[in-house]
Amino acid sequence: MQSYQLETTQTLQYHLADHYQIYQRVDLQNGDSHWQSMESPQPVTPLQKLPISSPKQFFFSERENLFSFDGECFRETVPEPEPFVLFGVQSCDLTAIAYQDQFFAEDPYYQARRKQALLVGFDCLTPCEYGFCHTVNAGPGVNPDCADIILHRQPGGDWLVLVSSLKGKQALRGLNLPAADSQALVGRDQQVKNCIEQFEQDPSLAQGIDQLSNETIDNDFWQQLGLQCLSCSGCTTLCPTCSCYGTRDFVDDTGQHQERFWDSCLYESFQREASQHNPSEEAGARLKRFWTHKFSQQTVKAFGRHGCVGCGRCEQTCPGVVGVHSTMKRIVAYQAESAPC
Amino acid sequence: MTIHSKSTICPFCGVGCGINLLLDNNTITGVEPQASHPISRGQLCAKGWSTAYGIDTHDRITQPLIRHKQSFKETSWDHALAFIGKKIKDIIANHGADAVGIISSARATNEDNYAAQKLARAVFNTNNVDHCARICHSPTVAGLNMTLGSGAMTNSASDIFAADVIMVIGADPTENHTILGGHIMRAKLQGTTLIVIDPRKTRLAKLADIHLQLKAGSNIELINAMLEEIIEQQWHNKDFIHRRCEGFVSLAAALEGAMATAIKTTGVNGALIHAAAKAYSQASNGMILYGMGITQYVSGTFNVISLSNLALVCGHIGRPGTGINPLRGQNNVQGACDMGCLPNVYPGYQPVDDIANREKFSQAWGCRLSLQKGLTSLGMSTASLQGDFHGLILFGENPVVTDPDQNQVRAALKKLDLLVVAELTMTDTAKLADVILPAASFAEKDGTFTNCERRVQYIQQVVSPPGTAKTDWQWLADIAQQLGSDKLNWKTSEAVFSEMARLTPIYSGMSYQKLKKNHGLQWPCNQQYPQGSAILHREQFATSTGKAELIPVHPVAIDETTDTEYPLTLTTNRLHFHYGCGSMTRKSPLLERETPAGILFINPADADANQIHHLGPVAVRSRRGYIETRAICTEDVPPGLVTMPYHFREAPSNQLTNNAQDPVSKMPELKACAVAVTPLAAGCQPRDSDTLHRSR
Amino acid sequence: MLSLTPMPTELVSYYNDSEDTRHFCFRLLDPEAIKKTQPGQFFMLHIPGIGAAPFTFTTPPDSRGVFYALIKSVGKVTRALFNQQAGTTLGVRGPFGTGWPIKTLAGQRILIVAGGCGIAPLVNLTETLLQQNSYQSLALLYGAGSQKTEMLKAQRLRWQQQMPMYTVLEAPGQSELTGTPVDVLDTVLGQLGEFPTALLLCGPEIMMQKMAVKFIDKGLAESSIWLSIERRMHCAVGLCGHCYLHHSYGCADGPTYQWDHYQRLSAGDTDPGLVIPSQI
Repeated sequence: MQSYQLETTQTLQYHLADHYQIYQRVDLQNGDSHWQSMESPQPVTPLQKLPISSPKQFFFSERENLFSFDGECFRETVPEPEPFVLFGVQSCDLTAIAYQDQFFAEDPYYQARRKQALLVGFDCLTPCEYGFCHTVNAGPGVNPDCADIILHRQPGGDWLVLVSSLKGKQALRGLNLPAADSQALVGRDQQVKNCIEQFEQDPSLAQGIDQLSNETIDNDFWQQLGLQCLSCSGCTTLCPTCSCYGTRDFVDDTGQHQERFWDSCLYESFQREASQHNPSEEAGARLKRFWTHKFSQQTVKAFGRHGCVGCGRCEQTCPGVVGVHSTMKRIVAYQAESAPC
Repeated sequence: MTIHSKSTICPFCGVGCGINLLLDNNTITGVEPQASHPISRGQLCAKGWSTAYGIDTHDRITQPLIRHKQSFKETSWDHALAFIGKKIKDIIANHGADAVGIISSARATNEDNYAAQKLARAVFNTNNVDHCARICHSPTVAGLNMTLGSGAMTNSASDIFAADVIMVIGADPTENHTILGGHIMRAKLQGTTLIVIDPRKTRLAKLADIHLQLKAGSNIELINAMLEEIIEQQWHNKDFIHRRCEGFVSLAAALEGAMATAIKTTGVNGALIHAAAKAYSQASNGMILYGMGITQYVSGTFNVISLSNLALVCGHIGRPGTGINPLRGQNNVQGACDMGCLPNVYPGYQPVDDIANREKFSQAWGCRLSLQKGLTSLGMSTASLQGDFHGLILFGENPVVTDPDQNQVRAALKKLDLLVVAELTMTDTAKLADVILPAASFAEKDGTFTNCERRVQYIQQVVSPPGTAKTDWQWLADIAQQLGSDKLNWKTSEAVFSEMARLTPIYSGMSYQKLKKNHGLQWPCNQQYPQGSAILHREQFATSTGKAELIPVHPVAIDETTDTEYPLTLTTNRLHFHYGCGSMTRKSPLLERETPAGILFINPADADANQIHHLGPVAVRSRRGYIETRAICTEDVPPGLVTMPYHFREAPSNQLTNNAQDPVSKMPELKACAVAVTPLAAGCQPRDSDTLHRSR
Repeated sequence: MLSLTPMPTELVSYYNDSEDTRHFCFRLLDPEAIKKTQPGQFFMLHIPGIGAAPFTFTTPPDSRGVFYALIKSVGKVTRALFNQQAGTTLGVRGPFGTGWPIKTLAGQRILIVAGGCGIAPLVNLTETLLQQNSYQSLALLYGAGSQKTEMLKAQRLRWQQQMPMYTVLEAPGQSELTGTPVDVLDTVLGQLGEFPTALLLCGPEIMMQKMAVKFIDKGLAESSIWLSIERRMHCAVGLCGHCYLHHSYGCADGPTYQWDHYQRLSAGDTDPGLVIPSQI
């Protein structure tokens, strides 16, 4: 992995802007943060708040046409985006993109966008409000396998640039940055370690994950918890690894089309069949499936990691108080209560 | 692919959550919540998450449509407006100004609503202006005005976290005001005591510390019993009553025997009533939240007064974590009321029959104004059927689906000489129109919405309207011009707001500039409260004396009781997944999938007794109508009660409901009527209302 | 890369089979589009502008691309299909999923139990088994609501020449055996004589669960029972997520499952409101 020194990120941003449409995290006046396309690159600010939505929409679109039918032929409608860069993605969301890269490895729509994207990661140096990335091995430092270029802010305000893929190397061609000294990487490790130490300790997370992956929680618990799930779809919409989708056909002036759209396994109707048979009619069963799926051993086998990257977005967005922190606390309390004395 | 995000306010219920609309060029591709919003705090309900589908441009009306025999023809704005102008002039010339009226929309902005009532009053010279608050919270406005002097939520959403006892009565907030329902759940988990009073086992009832499962329509009996118990046990707040209330002695005298009556009539046992009375009265901060299970009865205004009595006697008002808090249905139903889209008041609840008020508006608007109160929406229907009312302009409402006794509404609208409907998409009401005007959605205009906690929030134009669609205040101004008036000739929505704020004392301290900061302002916002008011009645009440009125109320029986022919009581409810007539939510493939198009909830015992199966087709009949739908067998409704949501045009519960009215507010009794439910042959599809209509 | 785009397919013809049920004949416009299928696999049928749903081949595509499917009108897609005229172009994707374990069935005493339209995925299997004739014995127990709703009368009459066949109807007095397949199992086993060594199930999930539990109680190995399940599906390639059975996707790992595998998966999902079969 090559490493360089950089005084200001704008040098890099302007260089990339010659070849890529630039998307950046923008902090709004009200403190919210979200991804936006930039006319011209803006200075990068340290992460105050996680962007409300993860960047998954850049690859797995919230709504997109799959194919069109003209009365005779079906035509696949794969998107053809121009090259673009996501500038300053934090580690949890990058880990999620790597996860979805595996899940959608054979999906032509996802891959059409993904191959056009350059991922520039940012090491987080302070914990965010609901985050627990270090508990699920997804941060706060960016894993080189998940980004093309990694930016790390050094104590003096300079940046360490790590090139972690061929695509990253090609993107930097012509920029002629000075090489970083050997101490820079040590310094990075230390800063990331400091960040980890600043996270609030929540032992219920590790315990809850353990219970979920061993599937030791009984149905009564899920039924109780199910009463609080309002099927709003907030958690699955914001979860950077959630990938379920529905489809619908529609007709317009140009023909007949099928569209896919983000779906949520927490809707009662997610599995309901035309005959009205519904294998997951109870909210408790759906919550159980959702959480077990995120933390199951099978997921680890298939993807090399849990399906949760510790961003904590579900905790913030859940009106029913059954986001990840709340659920883990409830699991631990329930298991303690029901354990034999 | 260019992605932008613009902040606005969710267009569904009265909670007023902050949303960002995600844009790819001029297309709205998705929604995200605003983490910084003071109420929604990064959360949304299923409807909010589906907002983008609701304003999809696939099936929008983009050009004015004019009736041509049984169908519609596209026409130009010029032609449509000229046609409307001429018709209105003719009607006013032949039948007088009171033969025309406007029904405005609780979905539209304050600016649109202000323009609507000004068109009626200043241009048509009639007070015939109303909107759907008539059928949600008109008893609140009437009742709380009498007791407290102000008909709005006394406290704020955030007070849910400051209460140590929350009492939810006749409301199902996790379905209808989901984010507030979630706050209540969160508060309960954090240790707040939750009391739920509802005939149904709602989600909150299942989580509650105390659930009083009263018989539908016995609210006054129950509240009076709580009051009697509180006074008998000396749990009342004597100091507060002494300092701030009038009428305690006569109230206390009128309560005698209330507990004994309640035990007989409410179906709730005395020990539970005692427990609820104790918990609420002994709370440090007790908060009442209520909904249409209080208002939609012939006793609606009295129900509201009884709740007011309860809060006052315990002194739970005027402080954080207390108050009496109506949960308002639409995103801007509070605003539509504030704007004076009511037949008896100018903007800011200034009565039209008060000469000083008339002078004030007459001067400001530079015209003569009528002192006579106008017709309510149901009054306009009745007058139309009697041949006394001839022209109606209606926007953003679908009374054919949402109003009681649908067949009569349909007949009344058909009888009009002129019906103008402005809408986003074709609705059942629009189908009856002479002219349909294409309206801009909330994402396509600037303006303000006032949520149920009186918070006035700015919404910005995010995309341009499809085709030639216009903002409501713009086409209302166009109509004024056809009638030779330039009184509605504003350049911007901000100009509308400024004019309104000058004339509306409770809004007088507001401007767009101030609203854009800090997520809006809560009224009253004026010289005295430049930063707005989170809590009303802190020092004194808004009554003429400054004191609250305790008014004894006696039980009022529901209008139509069950009998052998119609043995079940039908009540109406709403679902988390749908909103109003479903014209926006049903465009979401996700929300549309969640429930069959039309359902009846029935207790398994009643289902068994009538050979009705879960999800099986059933017929529901009342004295006024007949519909077919599917049954959902659930213990959530008690035996003897069946409930239907009114969202589905295929199975409109309002074919069945009773239009008997609360004498004070003219609120129809949507919450109780007598029905018979019978099974249809297994395997057959319930016929939708159009099919039934044709076969008649 | 996967394709989620259907292949144009002609609706050639159909005939009414039983109440609300038709046997459809389709033709892939490109006969090469689907090469080889296994009995029990399925395809996605797209009605353009309406939607798509999974159906099984009763007869798989021949060299001209012609294939058959037995379809009951239940929901939006099937109602729209029933309104299509012969000659219309529709869309097809497939074949998908795991079929019946044909090889394992050689030399076995096979009992097939089908309920209602659950017979559809077993038609191609039965025909294949009869043709291969490598089993020790083969019998079919078919259950339906009434004479009106029992399916594939002609096919079953033909099969009856070659194998024992039991029909049980819920409507009283309409057949020799009355009730559900579970009700009449002991009678049928008595008549069969020899206890089966392989059980293949398709029908309502609760019927299959009860049936499997009965056989396990009688000593049949869990691994000798297979079932084909129904799930809502959109993609059929393991992406959309709708057909999950715990960690498994019905479209890829199923729809045919070995009982012990299915049992482990559904125990992981168990609907708290549902009594799991082993506890019945």
